[in-house]
Amino acid sequence: GLTSARAAEILARDGPNALTPPKSTPEIIKFLKQMVGGFSILLWVGALLCWIAFGIQIAQGVASAFDNLYLGVVLALVVILTGIFAYYQEAKSTNIMASFSKMIPQQALVIRDGEKKEVPAEQLVVGDMVEIKGGDRIPADIRLIFAQGCKVDNSSLTGESEPQSRSCDFTHENPLETKNIAFYSTTCLEASPFLPGTATGMVINTGDHTIIGRIASLASGVGNEKTPIAIEIEHFVHIVAGVAVSIGVLFFIIAVSMKYKVLDSIIFLIGIIVANVPEGLLATVTVSLSLTAKRMAKKNCLVKNLEAVETLGSTSIICSDKTGTLTQNRMTVAHLWFDDQIYSADTSEEQTTQSFDQSSQSWAALSKIVTLCNRAEFKPGQENVPIMKRVVVGDASETALLKFAEVILGDVMGIRKRNRKLAEIPFNSTNKFQLSIHETEDPNDKRFLLVMKGAPERILERCSTIMINGEEQPLDRERAEAFQTAYMELGGLGERVLGFCHLYLPEDEFPDTYPFDTDSMNFPTSNLCFVGLLSMIDPPRSTVPDAVSKCRSAGIKVIMVTGDHPITAKAIAKSVGIISANSETVEDIAKRLNIPVEQVNKQDARAAVINGMELKDMTTEQLDEILINHSEIVFARTSPQQKLIIVEGCQRQDAVVAVTGDGVNDSPALKKADIGIAMGIAGSDAAKNAADMILLDDNFASIVTGVEEGRLIFDNLKKTIAYTLTKNIAELCPFLIYIIASIPLPIGTITILFIDLGTDIIPSVALAYEKAESDIMNRRPRHKKKDRLVNEQLAVYSYLQIGILQSVGAFLAYFTVYAEQGWLPNTLLGLRVSWEDDYYNDIEDSYGQEWTRYQRTYLQWSGYTAFFVSITIQQVADLIIRKTRRNSLFQQGLLRNKVIWVGIFSQIAIALILCYGLGSVTALNFTPLRVQYWFVAMPYAILIWVYDEIRKLFIRQYPGSWWDKNMYY
Amino acid sequence: MLFALFPGHLVPDVEQLMVGFVGMDRDRDRAIFLSVEVEVLATVLTTTCPLCFAGLILLFYLILYMFLAGMFSFCIYGLLLTLSPYTPTYRDRVSPPGVMIRPYLHGFTIAFNVSEPSTWTPYVNSMHHFLQAYDDNIQEEKNIECPAGQYFVQDGAESKEKKACQFKRSQLQNCSGIEDPTFGYSTGQPCILLKMNRIIGYRPGYGTPVSVNCAIQKGNESALKSVDFYPGNGTFDLMYYPYYGKLTHVNYTSPLVALHFTDVKKNDFVPIQCRLNGEGIVNNVTNDRFLGRIIFTLSIGM
Repeated sequence: GLTSARAAEILARDGPNALTPPKSTPEIIKFLKQMVGGFSILLWVGALLCWIAFGIQIAQGVASAFDNLYLGVVLALVVILTGIFAYYQEAKSTNIMASFSKMIPQQALVIRDGEKKEVPAEQLVVGDMVEIKGGDRIPADIRLIFAQGCKVDNSSLTGESEPQSRSCDFTHENPLETKNIAFYSTTCLEASPFLPGTATGMVINTGDHTIIGRIASLASGVGNEKTPIAIEIEHFVHIVAGVAVSIGVLFFIIAVSMKYKVLDSIIFLIGIIVANVPEGLLATVTVSLSLTAKRMAKKNCLVKNLEAVETLGSTSIICSDKTGTLTQNRMTVAHLWFDDQIYSADTSEEQTTQSFDQSSQSWAALSKIVTLCNRAEFKPGQENVPIMKRVVVGDASETALLKFAEVILGDVMGIRKRNRKLAEIPFNSTNKFQLSIHETEDPNDKRFLLVMKGAPERILERCSTIMINGEEQPLDRERAEAFQTAYMELGGLGERVLGFCHLYLPEDEFPDTYPFDTDSMNFPTSNLCFVGLLSMIDPPRSTVPDAVSKCRSAGIKVIMVTGDHPITAKAIAKSVGIISANSETVEDIAKRLNIPVEQVNKQDARAAVINGMELKDMTTEQLDEILINHSEIVFARTSPQQKLIIVEGCQRQDAVVAVTGDGVNDSPALKKADIGIAMGIAGSDAAKNAADMILLDDNFASIVTGVEEGRLIFDNLKKTIAYTLTKNIAELCPFLIYIIASIPLPIGTITILFIDLGTDIIPSVALAYEKAESDIMNRRPRHKKKDRLVNEQLAVYSYLQIGILQSVGAFLAYFTVYAEQGWLPNTLLGLRVSWEDDYYNDIEDSYGQEWTRYQRTYLQWSGYTAFFVSITIQQVADLIIRKTRRNSLFQQGLLRNKVIWVGIFSQIAIALILCYGLGSVTALNFTPLRVQYWFVAMPYAILIWVYDEIRKLFIRQYPGSWWDKNMYY
Repeated sequence: MLFALFPGHLVPDVEQLMVGFVGMDRDRDRAIFLSVEVEVLATVLTTTCPLCFAGLILLFYLILYMFLAGMFSFCIYGLLLTLSPYTPTYRDRVSPPGVMIRPYLHGFTIAFNVSEPSTWTPYVNSMHHFLQAYDDNIQEEKNIECPAGQYFVQDGAESKEKKACQFKRSQLQNCSGIEDPTFGYSTGQPCILLKMNRIIGYRPGYGTPVSVNCAIQKGNESALKSVDFYPGNGTFDLMYYPYYGKLTHVNYTSPLVALHFTDVKKNDFVPIQCRLNGEGIVNNVTNDRFLGRIIFTLSIGM
């Protein structure tokens, strides 16, 4: 090994043996981004204008100059506070991830200075000699110089699920293929309980130079694209900011040309901006998304990036792994063939019994072979664990057989003990069978039992008889054909088939003391008795077929991408419904019509099974053609790198693509996908890092529930935004009318902020709890470019219909308050200049009474309060109508979403507190209002509700009509 | 409302459409047929004539807004019906009364130089203009003489025209502008008229007349040596109250108190605060500096 000094030198040169974490944006930049994103810029402009106005007014000695200073400060505070809130939300969701990436520091056994030492894996350097034993994670890329029974699990790197044996022989020029290199972060397996694999090797690459490190850097090179919801929110911000700026500038010009002072016009501009910007909305959206994220986490979808919540909802293609996601990731006995008949076994996750007919003698014989001719064992100390969950030492097929036998017979280990094993030939790839010889448990039967299992055709070759109903019968041509048919049928299901046979060795030839020798094979291995076939498969999870059919009705295409054999892949795809029962592939059609594959019209085949080798030779156009023409696609024998190609292909079709993955090699595809989904159990850290979402139970069905939540939140965000935008008009109109008609100001800027950030916040979050109106999983995924979050209809309906209605109702309250105090509406018109004159302290009202300036101001605040209360009351109606976009309120029910009620009560409670509790604080511009003014806008609130019910009624009655097109948002 | 979305000549059978739209006809086929008809109509409009389509939307909004305007007008009309034309529903915001002064040009600094008539003529003109309505002959012609020292309560129908009490200019004596048409401005002894804001039905002082006093607001008290008050020691006589509103109390003229600043420090800004004193009068609210009091500055140059 190296000397410590030399190692330290190399360590200094190459750096620690760890992957550089992806570059993260500095916290301060993240924070500042929140401060200038969205509407913040607009509000900063507002604040700045306030301060400019303050500066000019203070120079002119205007008494009310400080109002502008305070307003500026309040606006700045609003920006800073919402910024802090958004930052906090983001930080919180990042923290969830931080806990994931924390790993226990790995130790490595290294030879330094001629001694074995435990050092942290980070300190390994090129040239170090390390020792590895079964169960260890390989600490760096190493070249083996000694290996014994060493197998590595390369699945996270190459996607091969079978363990690869490793030796010190150089077998291939490609470092990925050669047997004498083991890779960083793969696991060295315990090959068997008796022979723990060990290996010694020399470190050849560390840290970022390892294969894994290179892939990781490749993944970080794939650009992070904006999530669909981010695009939608940006679009929405543009609309609102556009409206705000254009109305602001328009009225600035109008005000100036109406001979208003420029300073006054600037103050109008501030009011217009504040009225137009829904200050609380972005915070509300964040809260709604994080509520959904929490709900999804409960359903085993852990979302890393809040915006991914919605991305999942707009997903139109899911590229799913097979193993572990669609399937249970364990071999299970699926079918049996004995007595010339195929039996199906239960393959569900929680099997406790098997219900096929077990009365036949043949089954007794078969079960004995299954039990005895098997090297797999349960790890001790698991008596209380359900059989299916017990940990087994042994390969996948043997494990399946062991569990199968344990379920049916119970106490397999006891049976094996009673039928002592005398000799054994383990399975190897040349003879393709496994054989063992046992004593029988019957004390009167002194014969030995030879049991054998292996590849069916090889087993059959060695048999001369076949057991039918417990009787040995000659294996004639007819029987052999029956065997072939069964074998083909089971193989066609994509299952791995094993044949079983036995032979009772005659007592006279093989006495008690017969020395069995496995090397010379001093016992018969032919003319055996064929007993039956067992076929195994990694069965689909029981919830998956349902989930796939849900996806289908939701218009989501499910594409299976697997490294498995096409036949197996197709069989699983068929059993979970990815390929539906009556669809055919081009090959199927060719076979049915008996014509060459080339002559088949590709349009006729709904399904396609694409081999990784074919994919390799395809041009992008050919791939696009396949993705467009076939609705049911399975990619088999693909490498994880090809996943990236498939994802890119799907994205070229304008689809929102979700990709599942667990291996390190999947990380570029996970990053490239619109939403990368990593497996929580089987996933590697690299995959989890690259993904947007983590599937805690690795179950495909959880993705579908996630999609449902994502779609629901999109609908509900629409409602939230529609709700929030509506009152902006009711806040804006007062300013416009104030400028045009010169009436006393109906609502103040501070009061507007109390609506936007006070009464309206909880109700708009409450809409996130709204239940779906119809089965949202029965419609097509939204089109990225056509189905906008904020579309024309939504803006127009909110702004120009309900918003105007609200303004009218609020103005009625305003005029009522003034009229009952002596200012009739006609007096108010054109009154503004005298009304706001600080020196004019005896203005006559409509009755000839004279008012001081402060008396007028106080009345103006009463007007603000009345306007505020009216907007609040009408927002209650707005909240109720926004519960549904199409259904009647009676269909949706008022009580299903209880949070709405919390919203309504909070809204009214806050208004009451502001009006009566804080009415005496002059800076807030609220006054205690006479009780009856709370009810002035009530008829308009009811009108809003009735109008919207009529709108919805016509939408439901005349789908596709002019009304539907213009009124449905 | 909906069928009004379509221009008249495009709706051949309104009755048939009605049935469909109102949805009373449970016959789905017919409804579907109708919706198809509407659909076709709309498509024809959009494809053949985009302007018509825009027109359809404009028409829709025209109708919607006309409806809203109508409903709003109706509500305002209803509101006005509930109001009395003689007395406002509430008078809690306008009382207790505020105070104003004349001359009033702009602001509350009365600054002039005795030797330069151009600096005080605007004030004098303002006073004359204001006092026109108080000319003795006008008052005698329009208003009646009332018994002093008691409220002039006029019962009877609310709509009946109310009599007003005479307040003659001559009652202001030295500040009437009759003997001295410059109201003392030419001699550096300016008159200022003080007026209490009118409030319908308000009875100031609850039986005792409200009086006025003036003092230096802050600073050297010797700057204001003497002030004369007219009429009657600076009180507002009860007979001028209550006020019945401009509709019935047509010729009402607010009673005045003239302040004759006979000895004020010259060539200096002298801040003066005049207060109303009487029961029910509030004159010490910080926010409202014109409620029951008024602050103005005299600056008389010699």
